[in-house]
Amino acid sequence: MRDWMIEAHALRQSFGSSAEAVVAITNLSRTFGSKTVLNDVSLYLPRGSVFGLVGETGAGTTTLIKLILGLLRAEAGTVRVFGVDPVSNPVSVLARMGYLSEQPDLPGWMRVDEFMRYMQAFYPKWDAVYAEELRAQFGLDPAVRIKTLSKGQRAKAGLLAAQAHRPDLLLLDEPSSGLDPIVRSDILAAVIRTVAEEGRTVFFSSHLLEEVERVSDHIAMLHQGKLVLCGPLDEIKAQHRRITLRFETQQPKPPIVPGALSVTGTGREWTIICDAARTALPAITAKLDVRIIDEHAASLNEIFVGHAGVSLQTPDALAQSMD
Amino acid sequence: MVLRLNPSSGVPLYLQLIEQVKHAIETGAIRAGEQLPSVRKMAEDLVINPNTVARAYRDLEHEGIIELKHGSGAFIRESIVARARLMHKAQTVVQSALDRLASFELTEDEIRRLVENELALRRTGKQSRKVCVIG
Repeated sequence: MRDWMIEAHALRQSFGSSAEAVVAITNLSRTFGSKTVLNDVSLYLPRGSVFGLVGETGAGTTTLIKLILGLLRAEAGTVRVFGVDPVSNPVSVLARMGYLSEQPDLPGWMRVDEFMRYMQAFYPKWDAVYAEELRAQFGLDPAVRIKTLSKGQRAKAGLLAAQAHRPDLLLLDEPSSGLDPIVRSDILAAVIRTVAEEGRTVFFSSHLLEEVERVSDHIAMLHQGKLVLCGPLDEIKAQHRRITLRFETQQPKPPIVPGALSVTGTGREWTIICDAARTALPAITAKLDVRIIDEHAASLNEIFVGHAGVSLQTPDALAQSMD
Repeated sequence: MVLRLNPSSGVPLYLQLIEQVKHAIETGAIRAGEQLPSVRKMAEDLVINPNTVARAYRDLEHEGIIELKHGSGAFIRESIVARARLMHKAQTVVQSALDRLASFELTEDEIRRLVENELALRRTGKQSRKVCVIG
């Protein structure tokens, strides 16, 4: 076991350039019929990172994951996994990947131990000792049939199958969707162990922004097929602020603040979410006869809502405009 | 030492971790010379990214609160205990202030708003004494 200082050093070093990218996507577009699902997406997955992909339902997250898996072909742009095209090199790429979908398709009639042996046959690098360790950790009874497992246990069985060959890249599509908090936490803890122990790379999608904020070091936000935000979580958090303004007079309509991603509030107090435009604020506040009464780091949820362009009006303002 | 993080508060997790370690020192939950869990253990226990823990530890070292000893882990510095004593003394000031406020029959929430308002005013450098606790 390495000591933790070296470990921390290695973690710092792993924030590499694109040359170190496990996945490199450039100008990727994909349509289904007339619907553009992914529109000019570019992103790099640094080795050793936990990359959280955020997007509302239908934003294109599952399509993006399928493109990384090589299950779909890019229409425009390129997808490279471990430096090669996953569509034309499925065997070499899939051998180094582990994948867990939102609803893992597992053979219900198999017992847990049978399922483990079955999966072992697909992966030359399957580690039976590690698989057994994971089974014990997840509290899965080897003699129980898959179809009788609860939803949470089934997700754990899926994660076991995705991890036991110690993949260089672990892909998780909504791994904790619809699961209770305890199972969610178990699954995330397993993900944390994966990166902490071996510096492997994890790419996962989630609607649960709290979860993404907990475990990711890099995030990307998809909105209607476009990447609205992408980068190290620290930087994104540092760029976005939630600022509460107090006006001298009542404001019947949301004030126009240049650079604000969203404006909410009523009367004299309004809260804005803004990004790098923060530096321009003092000049604006001087002009608007307003003072800043509160300033905080914005939560990931506020940042996402700000960028997705939802919730720009308060219920009050909405009611007024409908009058 | 029990640490609890709240990802939805907006405060970056590494800052929350730093605050909580400081708090644990002030309350005596962890003492000078004692060791913090390894980055990996802490990350697994809190279910957070190991980089977040590593960053918090680096900042704590930079602030002189912990000492990173190569190969053996993170230790609470002896010198930080003086600071903790100061905090303990300050705590009695806060206690007596709260006792006085309680005699005004203010609620906990109102007191918190008063304190936060005052701190915010100092931060922005405005010396206005107008108290805005309603709403």
